[in-house]
Amino acid sequence: MEGIVTGNSDDRDRSSMSRRRRIAALVPTVLLARRNVSRATARSTLAVVAVVIGVVAVGAIGTGGEAFKQNQVAAYEGFGGTATVHPVVYPEAEDPNRNFSDAEVARMRRAAAGATVIPVVQPFGSLVRTPAGETVVTAQVKGIEDPGTFYETANGSVPENWRRSVIVGSRIAADNDIEPGDQITVVVEDELEGTFPVAAVLRPQGFADPLSADQSVFVPVSRFDDATYDEVIVRVDPSAGSVAGAATAIETEFNSRRRTVSVQQVQQQREQFEQSFETVNQFLIGVGAISLLVAGVTIANTLLMSVIEREGEIGVLRAVGYTRGAVVRMLVAEATILGIIGGVIGVPIALGIGAVINVFLVGDPLAFTRAGLQYVGIGCLFGITTALVAGVYPAWKAANKRPAEAFD
Amino acid sequence: MPVDDRPGDGDGNEATTGTPLISGTNVVKEYQTGGQTIRALKRIDFRIDEADSVAIVGPSGSGKSTLLNLLGLLDVPTSGEIRLRKQDVATLSDSERNRERKQTIGFVFQSYYLIPTLTALENVEMPRMLDRTPKKTRDRATELLERVGLSDRLDHAPDELSGGQKQRVAIARSLINDPELVLADEPTGNLDRDTGDQILDLFEELRAEEGVAVVMVTHDEYVAEAADRVVNLVDGTLRAPDTATRADGGHRDRE
Ligand SMILES: Nc1ncnc2c1ncn2[C@@H]1O[C@H](COP(=O)(O)OP(=O)(O)OP(=O)(O)O)[C@@H](O)[C@H]1O
Ligand SMILES: [Mg+2]
Repeated sequence: MEGIVTGNSDDRDRSSMSRRRRIAALVPTVLLARRNVSRATARSTLAVVAVVIGVVAVGAIGTGGEAFKQNQVAAYEGFGGTATVHPVVYPEAEDPNRNFSDAEVARMRRAAAGATVIPVVQPFGSLVRTPAGETVVTAQVKGIEDPGTFYETANGSVPENWRRSVIVGSRIAADNDIEPGDQITVVVEDELEGTFPVAAVLRPQGFADPLSADQSVFVPVSRFDDATYDEVIVRVDPSAGSVAGAATAIETEFNSRRRTVSVQQVQQQREQFEQSFETVNQFLIGVGAISLLVAGVTIANTLLMSVIEREGEIGVLRAVGYTRGAVVRMLVAEATILGIIGGVIGVPIALGIGAVINVFLVGDPLAFTRAGLQYVGIGCLFGITTALVAGVYPAWKAANKRPAEAFD
Repeated sequence: MPVDDRPGDGDGNEATTGTPLISGTNVVKEYQTGGQTIRALKRIDFRIDEADSVAIVGPSGSGKSTLLNLLGLLDVPTSGEIRLRKQDVATLSDSERNRERKQTIGFVFQSYYLIPTLTALENVEMPRMLDRTPKKTRDRATELLERVGLSDRLDHAPDELSGGQKQRVAIARSLINDPELVLADEPTGNLDRDTGDQILDLFEELRAEEGVAVVMVTHDEYVAEAADRVVNLVDGTLRAPDTATRADGGHRDRE
């Protein structure tokens, strides 16, 4: 029994010993390789630059893309529980401008019990003039019952019984220097015309807002004579429930015989965005990865040249008893060192570029996401791996040269 | 000198009267180039004993380097037999030949082939760098550099050394594994006469003091005269040399 145990541990000793020896032997290999790398400085530098470009490309595109995504997705925040309802118009319909009536809005309210249902008038042919008398071409006039249920104000407040003033979106206010208290003129063809005091300016809402509040001037819906609505916003507090249920309920109510309303959830738009973003981002990262492949080719080329130059020297290594494996390891180590240097230089540059992009898109230089950092890591690893793989062929070629070539 | 720790030394097997260090019978070496066969060595016999001193002379292209490659186990003959001590080298695997070469044979080249990124000392250590005996290797390398008169140049890079100094580093390198045979291809070819003399003296010393056999290829009659035996290679065959008649030195090289 004891004998068997001893035998086993001997075996283990020997195998772990040989592994340790092999690892230890890597140190002089790496020393030789490192010295060789520093030999052709210009050539090594170019190879390193190629890796750096690749690592930076993948890393910066990755983190930058993630920052862009964060920035875009942030715009959807707050609209997660929101859906829009539009009438579906068929070409053969008598009235191509079919709108929702009060009755229909009431049906929606009933169907989507618990949800906030906000009818919106979006008239054609509207016009907004600033206090200075300039026409604001980008402004959209919208009639709504109470924007305060949906939006927060940045300046001023929505009056209790809102009838006589208007509320202005952030972009319109900023671009035209409009503040609460200013008088602006609103004209809607065939509907209303007048000068109204500005009661409040809204907070910026971003592009995901289904009502584009930033570009809008809100007028009390009571100002419009005929009460028909172009669009209805349905809102469910995300903490209370899902807007999907309300959306389904409305669709069931209206579309059972024929599809008469179209319900769109902002959440779905967000998912669509994320999907198409992933595709574009992956494509860009692929382009970055190609630059790493080019780096690999550069390294292979560098090493091939270097191996041809050092043919005699490598012959001597073989002559003095270096095995093929030892020569391969040394040359692959050279290539890998180039890759590692490229990675070590490339990662901080990629992170730096990522930080700058973060400042612009997210407002915080350190707003790296996990995925963004992963891309930097992947870029670095891929760079090193490419370099290593690129070293294999020249190394194998050099090691298989007849050692005899050292003799003239 | 730690020559004595050479494995197998002193058990009488390698005695001059017994097994030769390396010997060849009917050795043919052919090269294939572009459908053409070049016969570089045409059925030659040779024998090298311990502490032998042999010069191989002959015109360019006569097969001197080819013969050296075979002696150094860097290449295998196309036909014929080469024995290292009693072992037929054809029966050795690639890695076994590699190991034998490392243990038994040192190499010195006309163009030195020092590794430019390593210091003189590291160049001498180089053949043993992958062995895990750094202390022993360093001591031995230092000792060898002292021995070739370069104790003040240990940390110099090769391009900071003269040709003669480089060749002395190369000789020290060839001795790091305590070889029994040193093969040198025109070791004085790039050196002036005085420096060449120093190198030859060094080889002679090694042979006398450590029993290392030295086989040297040369174009130079003067260098050849320093050897005990001269082997004349002409067009791939061995000729009895007309000038240096003593060259056969008691061994019979069969024609
Ligand atoms: N690798 C090779 N492939 C093909 N032919 C070769 C090769 N090496 C040598 N030869 C040929 O073999 C013959 C002997 O060459 P070798 O190098 O042994 O000559 P040498 O005596 O060393 O000449 P030199 O004094 O010029 O160095 C020559 O004809 C040469 O062209
Ligand atoms: Mg030659």
